[in-house]
Amino acid sequence: MLFHTWPFLIFMLVVMPVFLALRRTNFWIHWLLLASYVFYGWWNPYYLVLVAYSTALDFFIVLLMDYCPRDGTPVDVRGRLTRLRFDNAVLKRAYLICGAGALASIGVAAFGEATLRPMMTGLALIFLLMTWGALFSHRKTWLVVSLINNLSLLVFFKYAEFFTDNLNYILHNWLQVTTSFPEPYTLMPFGFDYLLPVGISFYTFQSMSYTIDFYFGNIHRERSLVRFASFVSFFPQLVAGPIERASNLLPQFNSAPPIRRQDVADGLSLFLVGLFKKLALANYLSYYVDRVYDDPGSYNASALVLATVAFAWQIYFDFSGYTDMARGVARIMGFKLMLNFNNPYLATGLGDFWSRWHISLSTWFRDYVYIPLGGNRGGKLLTYRNLFLTLLISAIWHGAAWTFVIWGALHAVGCVVTRELERSEFYRERVPRFAKQLMVFAFVCFAWIFFRALSLDDALLVVERIFTTAWSDPYCPALMLGLMATIWLYQFFYESHWRPWLQLKPVRVGLAAGMILYLLLFSSEGGAFIYFQF
Amino acid sequence: MKPSANPNAARNESAPGKAGDADPPYFATNTVRLNLRQWAFVGGVILAIVLATPCLWKHLERFDIGTDYRIPYDLSKDYWLFQRRMERLDNPEQVVVIGDSVVWGEYVLPDGTLPHFLDRETDATNRFINGGVNGLFPLALEGLIRSYGGPIHDRKVILHCNLLWMSSPKADLQTEKEEKFNHPKLVPQFSPRIPCYRADANVRLSNVLERRVTFFGWTEHVQTAYFNQNSLIDWTLADDGGLPPKFPNTYNNPFSQITMVVPAAPVDDPLRGPASPRHKPWSTTGEGTSRFDWVDLDTSLQWGAFQRLVNLLRERGNDIFVVIGPLNEHTMIPENRVVFRKLVEGVRERLDAEQVSNFAPEVLPSDFYGDTSHPLTEGYALLAKRLFEERQFKEWLEAGAESSP
Repeated sequence: MLFHTWPFLIFMLVVMPVFLALRRTNFWIHWLLLASYVFYGWWNPYYLVLVAYSTALDFFIVLLMDYCPRDGTPVDVRGRLTRLRFDNAVLKRAYLICGAGALASIGVAAFGEATLRPMMTGLALIFLLMTWGALFSHRKTWLVVSLINNLSLLVFFKYAEFFTDNLNYILHNWLQVTTSFPEPYTLMPFGFDYLLPVGISFYTFQSMSYTIDFYFGNIHRERSLVRFASFVSFFPQLVAGPIERASNLLPQFNSAPPIRRQDVADGLSLFLVGLFKKLALANYLSYYVDRVYDDPGSYNASALVLATVAFAWQIYFDFSGYTDMARGVARIMGFKLMLNFNNPYLATGLGDFWSRWHISLSTWFRDYVYIPLGGNRGGKLLTYRNLFLTLLISAIWHGAAWTFVIWGALHAVGCVVTRELERSEFYRERVPRFAKQLMVFAFVCFAWIFFRALSLDDALLVVERIFTTAWSDPYCPALMLGLMATIWLYQFFYESHWRPWLQLKPVRVGLAAGMILYLLLFSSEGGAFIYFQF
Repeated sequence: MKPSANPNAARNESAPGKAGDADPPYFATNTVRLNLRQWAFVGGVILAIVLATPCLWKHLERFDIGTDYRIPYDLSKDYWLFQRRMERLDNPEQVVVIGDSVVWGEYVLPDGTLPHFLDRETDATNRFINGGVNGLFPLALEGLIRSYGGPIHDRKVILHCNLLWMSSPKADLQTEKEEKFNHPKLVPQFSPRIPCYRADANVRLSNVLERRVTFFGWTEHVQTAYFNQNSLIDWTLADDGGLPPKFPNTYNNPFSQITMVVPAAPVDDPLRGPASPRHKPWSTTGEGTSRFDWVDLDTSLQWGAFQRLVNLLRERGNDIFVVIGPLNEHTMIPENRVVFRKLVEGVRERLDAEQVSNFAPEVLPSDFYGDTSHPLTEGYALLAKRLFEERQFKEWLEAGAESSP
């Protein structure tokens, strides 16, 4: 279900009154969970199983982790193994259940339906690890189980095809071996379609952050499965973020949030801007971008440059539009989601860009990858290595293709370079802010070529043609150019001393009315959001 | 206000209209933040615009109908214009002829259509109004009249029944396989279910809204009339269809397209009229080989829609006369013709049972047809003549004339 469709409006017209009516009872959270599952199941009800599975596993993993000693006190493993002498009934139960689960999974894998074997083998491994975790009361094992479980789901659905294609290529062409790794779709149980579950990258990261935060003692254990499930599957941000942290969102689910009139007004404001970004801007730009990028060999430098710039705006409007709408819907219900974009194309450095672009993901990688790798604590080289690795992983998060790897590498290089430049006084003090912003924007646009191109060959072709073909009529509609320029100018005004003019009541009201009219009159039908594929 | 040195400070905003009321940071990175009162104001303005624009537009946009007017082919999907055309009926004696391209006149010019020849039979001008729309079929016709046919209430209506739409399960839209067909916005979106119509819920709801909210119908009119059935922004990207494609509208001002004159049909339509190469008999031998898989009336979706349409028109006070066909039976093999005639009898029986005046004219000469269902100019002239030779039709028409004020 997409925010900018009529079914979503009807969905909200059903969800909201019941939500409001249940706010004085304890059932509002159950209703929220049901609504979230209906929202997600609208695409493919079968994939609800994945959400529910991830949720349940992480919830119980943290529960069991909570029963394990934090100080790593040694336990009587022999007593536990031989006489089932556990000093904790919960862990004992977990040990027995997980052991039985492991045996059952192995049994089904060995003797059951052939299509169930891969899944059951994986499940058996998870159960065995959990049995280990219960036996040794080892907190780290539980963390590892959570990470393996979440990441293996992500890898299987998102990257398996990429890996098998590349590995099979190496086997066949480099090593001259005739055997192949099986195609991922052959591993699906009962012959289900092998499709990327919408939003899997978002909800697995959100769920994982809970176990990691708990492991490091940053948050308390959530005692209600329903509340935790609502946190993982909260429908406004379930499929494309922002990736919320348990420390921000879970406490908001402790009790029904108060809904002020200004919350409703703010929610509407956020939703309108998001809707405008998606339907009026991103969709319009996408037509030109698709036209050029679907056949880059037929276009010359000017069209390729303009299409690349248009894509930069398209993806920004598409994604930030979605998160604006998500935040708006949440706000109408009284919940506050984090800001995800902060005028990224006004960044003065690549580091600054990543602190403004997809903030929830950037901070996730900062907290769970960059800092655990050592952050900037180990000198310049180690810092840059960590930066490089973090950005590469972040790039691969976006998709399984070499183009994303190059995109991430380019950003990593850009981050290092701008970080070094910032150290020089000349660059810091003398180079005008506007020039830095233009340079960063140009670099980001260049990197987007690799993000948008359909293949690595296409990306290289675009780069080659930009530098080798003539500058002639790009056939980019004047209206589109005008819109891009207007939005860019708006952002500059927003971060300038002219901003109070934009805050004037008539301007705000006029902008809102203008956007609604534009949407009513000119918008085209909306497609899916770009980030759904991630 | 000076530029903020701290970018975070720029993100902080106080609630609109309440200076100094501290609000959580990170509301948004734009200034479009209204309070409820301002939202109510915006809502009021938008509502006023939505309600007033279509009405105002009717006064500002020139719409010449003249004699023998029919909705131009290119505006077949401009349902708002159809409604507007019907609103222009000024004389209570005017009879609207409703139907698909057979009424509209696929191969003929406006002065070669059935309404024109009906006028000629009565020595009148614009008494019979061409309410045909190209590509309509009963399921869509029902939607058109239900949503846009309000202005024809309480007057005489000749309703054409084209049985070609029941010539196979596919034509009847009964097949499960997804099919593309004309006027999907007009067919029932949810009930009764059309198996081959597979639009998603959003499209169906959009269609329902477009039919119910005049403003959306009006935007479709603007797009159809001035932007080649594109939205304004699609129009700026449209290509000329050539290879390599050219993009003629790239730098054009889209607003200059809005001439405030409803486009008329071309004066010399090369695709229609006796001089057109398309205006020729369907066969040189006049012998057919077609075998149609006629559907059962009891299960036919199109017939069900036709019946609902008849009931709807009656509820609106219309006095209906149904003309069945005449389909070009010459195209059929003899056995198939027998089945077809039984179908016609079945239709007549059902209409008689409902006390709906009807007439199934005899098949026209073979060379008076352009294809299976569309007569040529001579065919329409003969059909009009035959209608006026039919006692029931004359009585129906005269009864109306006598009772009209």
